[in-house]
Amino acid sequence: MRPAAMFALPLVLAMAGCGRLPGATAAAGTAPRPEEVMDFHALYSANCQACHGASGQNGPAMDLGNPEYQALVDDATLRKWISGGMPGTEMPAFAQSAGGMLTDAQIGAIIAGMRREWTKPNAFGGATPPPYAQDQAGDVTHGQQAYQARCASCHQGPSRQQVTSTAYLSLVSDQALRTIIIAGRPDIGQPDWRLQSGLASQPSAGNIGSPLSAQDVTDIVTYLGSLRNPAAVSAAPLPVSPRR
Amino acid sequence: MPGMKQTAKQVYDWFERRLQVEGPIKDAVLHKVPRNTASWWYVFGSAAFTLLMLQIVTGILLALVYVPSAAEAWNSLNVLNHQVPLGWFLRAVHGWGSNFMVAVVFIHMAQVFLFGAYKFPRELTWTVGVFLLLMTLGMAFTGQVLRFDQDAYWGLGIGVFILSRVPWMGGGLVHLLLGGPTIAGATLSRFFALHVFVIPGTLLVLVAMHVWMVLKLGINEWPMPGRLVRKSTYTAEYNKLAHEDGIPFVPGAFWKDLIFSGAVLAAVAVCAAVFGPSGPGGQPDPSITQTVPKPDFPFLWIYAVLSYLPPSMETPFILIAPILMIAGLLAVPFVAGEGEKSWHRRPVAVLALTSVAVAWAVFTHLATYTPWSPHMSAWSGDPLPVQYLRDATPLVRQGAVIFQAKQCRNCHSIGGLGGERGPALDAVATRMTLDQIRYKVVTGGGNMPAYGKNLSPPEIEALVSFLETLHPANEQPAIDAAQQATQSNAAPAPASGAGGP
Amino acid sequence: MSDQSDNPHKQSTGPDIETASRLASDREGPAIVSRRWLLLKAGIALNGLVGLALAVPIVRYLLAPVRKDDSYKSWISLGAADSFPVGETRLVSFKNPWTQPWDGETDNVAAYVRKEGASQFTVFAINCAHLGCPVRWFPQSQLFMCPCHGGVYYADGSRASGPPERGLFTYDYKIAGGQLQIDAGQMPSLSNTAKLVNIPTPGQNGSAKDGDCPCRG
Repeated sequence: MRPAAMFALPLVLAMAGCGRLPGATAAAGTAPRPEEVMDFHALYSANCQACHGASGQNGPAMDLGNPEYQALVDDATLRKWISGGMPGTEMPAFAQSAGGMLTDAQIGAIIAGMRREWTKPNAFGGATPPPYAQDQAGDVTHGQQAYQARCASCHQGPSRQQVTSTAYLSLVSDQALRTIIIAGRPDIGQPDWRLQSGLASQPSAGNIGSPLSAQDVTDIVTYLGSLRNPAAVSAAPLPVSPRR
Repeated sequence: MPGMKQTAKQVYDWFERRLQVEGPIKDAVLHKVPRNTASWWYVFGSAAFTLLMLQIVTGILLALVYVPSAAEAWNSLNVLNHQVPLGWFLRAVHGWGSNFMVAVVFIHMAQVFLFGAYKFPRELTWTVGVFLLLMTLGMAFTGQVLRFDQDAYWGLGIGVFILSRVPWMGGGLVHLLLGGPTIAGATLSRFFALHVFVIPGTLLVLVAMHVWMVLKLGINEWPMPGRLVRKSTYTAEYNKLAHEDGIPFVPGAFWKDLIFSGAVLAAVAVCAAVFGPSGPGGQPDPSITQTVPKPDFPFLWIYAVLSYLPPSMETPFILIAPILMIAGLLAVPFVAGEGEKSWHRRPVAVLALTSVAVAWAVFTHLATYTPWSPHMSAWSGDPLPVQYLRDATPLVRQGAVIFQAKQCRNCHSIGGLGGERGPALDAVATRMTLDQIRYKVVTGGGNMPAYGKNLSPPEIEALVSFLETLHPANEQPAIDAAQQATQSNAAPAPASGAGGP
Repeated sequence: MSDQSDNPHKQSTGPDIETASRLASDREGPAIVSRRWLLLKAGIALNGLVGLALAVPIVRYLLAPVRKDDSYKSWISLGAADSFPVGETRLVSFKNPWTQPWDGETDNVAAYVRKEGASQFTVFAINCAHLGCPVRWFPQSQLFMCPCHGGVYYADGSRASGPPERGLFTYDYKIAGGQLQIDAGQMPSLSNTAKLVNIPTPGQNGSAKDGDCPCRG
């Protein structure tokens, strides 16, 4: 097998020399058990980013990469939503104890990773946001007035930004509404409760330049919640045979 | 120097006086073969033999470390990969050697078929060759089991489910295959015995028969159109060809065998060094559900075929097709044992070989990306393209959440990510009207489950309104005749293209 | 090295012996020769008999794993029946009752427990009814999906789409002392129903019927 030797010899020498052939690298890792994966990026990209967006932005669901969101929500609350799901929304339960696939340690790794990656010091610029959890009773009438005065200039028009759509409200919880009003969604131009950032492109944004009070936030959420009526979203009648 | 030479000769003669192998070896080595069989087309058989030797040597070397116990096999492979110096390379050579051996055996068979070499008097050589092919595949499968990772475990599970379909004896056969009621310790032990003793032993005996017959019957002459094989005259014709226009096998033809075998070995070594060993994948723990089992390369085509069979065909096909295939291969020399050897005059043979090769390639290719399988983590892992949600209304955005959270993405890709079981939905709104989308979501149909029970009316509304936004910017969503009528009443038709056919 | 003088290329011994034996048989006459053939036959018969006597235990040894399904199965507890939430499907794992010390991780078995009422359960085998791959439960869409060939099942185990001919396999269960127990120990497969079965209409619970399940032996 002279030809083989001719080919193989330099190869063998190369191996003895550096020992770092591509194949050796390919064989380097040991496949971990799914519950042993503790790397934040691996966990986030496998379990979260489809809805919350790559690097916590531009997903259809809440932008976890928003530093204000990270500052607003405490660890216990994050753990509660991730473990057991968020009632009234599509956020599913991920903990094994609730029928999901993740261990408590993995959920801890996700929370720690989000804090590490996306927390910024002084996220609110010295301001104090309304509390994350609703702490007082809401008033529908005042909420409607506040909505008209502070929100409607953007959230109007025939199709765009219709947050009063019954179908939409049936799919988000009060807490989800409250969170997005307070923390905003900078990735899609939704301002935080101070109603400042992201409004430059809205010429009609007149009387909205001052922050919402905690009471305003509660009342607006209560007003929107009062519009929520899943039963009113009737299943659209199915055509007999719409097939082509 | 002359003294040493003299001594060497004496030692040689001492052994030869007792062994008496020089004569047979000289006969074999110097026997005359038809001149034009000293061809690069005739090198695959010897290459397969070389690979078999490589597999035996590397297999023995791996057995020095490998532990054939269900509890330890996986660990010992990781030790080979990480701790034994160049253990990964030995594993890689054995694994790539296996791939190459299967490939070379198939090529050898195709060449033999194309050259009509199975015809009289070489029918039995072909028959033994068919069993050699089965043994080679058996080695590949049992070798995959010895890797004893999740792919091995569930690959074996597929074997169990195939066997279990055998009427009457299915259950007993499964117990016999597994050595018990489940895939466990006894299973690995018996597959070790199969892979290391039973199949290689049989393989070596069959190889000896195969080579013996090649030597005794002579290598197949180069087929010439019009030179027909007749049982009454063939032997005389062949001997005439070999003796009058023949050359000694060594070195006339053998140097090409040597060079090709060397090149194949070098290719195995390069593949092993560059691509490394295969696995082991995840632990063979059947309670781990986050796994996507896949067979090794030689069995990908079977994996693909099994996914395309309609349910009513599964059992009959699985039970009957292998028998027909093997019977068909075995029957070849007995159906066409005489006549033309040249591919120029055997259109059916050429067509059959081409069809099989194309079908094999297509199925193997499909199995590399399994478009029939849901992508299990697409719903939680594949982000939506950012531009699809730019300017989306809250309801549409919520529909996108539902699209992800209800696992639609597992079967439908968007932006090139996601499952391929169902159609990609990037431009679904141009194909289906709102009503059609809603109907399909609720009632399912074809291969799609019905989601009507699992989605609330608001969820359906949100989902459908999201899907309705999936169309290219320059193409309008599809509408039906009623909507078209409404639109054209409201405003004059803007352009001819808007309505579509 | 007294052999030096011999010509090593000449096969000298073979023909000599052959000639000698022919001469011997010529001398010995037909009666003696036929006696030797008889003895040869007796030798073959003896080996055949002993071979048969050995073959019986060998075959029995080989077939030792082949048993009735029931002999491999026993009742296994999956935990308190109350610990499963009503209306949900949960993944559980248990140790196979038929096990050897060297089974390692392979003696883990997983199953899906669906609790339909206070004491109403369906316990699904994890194995796809097509070719046995592990199906995964998705509570959001209420579907089981198989990663191998795309079999999909509804929450009640009936076939939704893909190549399976039938719904998921189920285990027999009972509640003893507040514990949910299943009759397990055998890898579920089609071995008891190796025949065509009716494919239930999608959306209807037409598959998880008694007698449909090989786990029931």
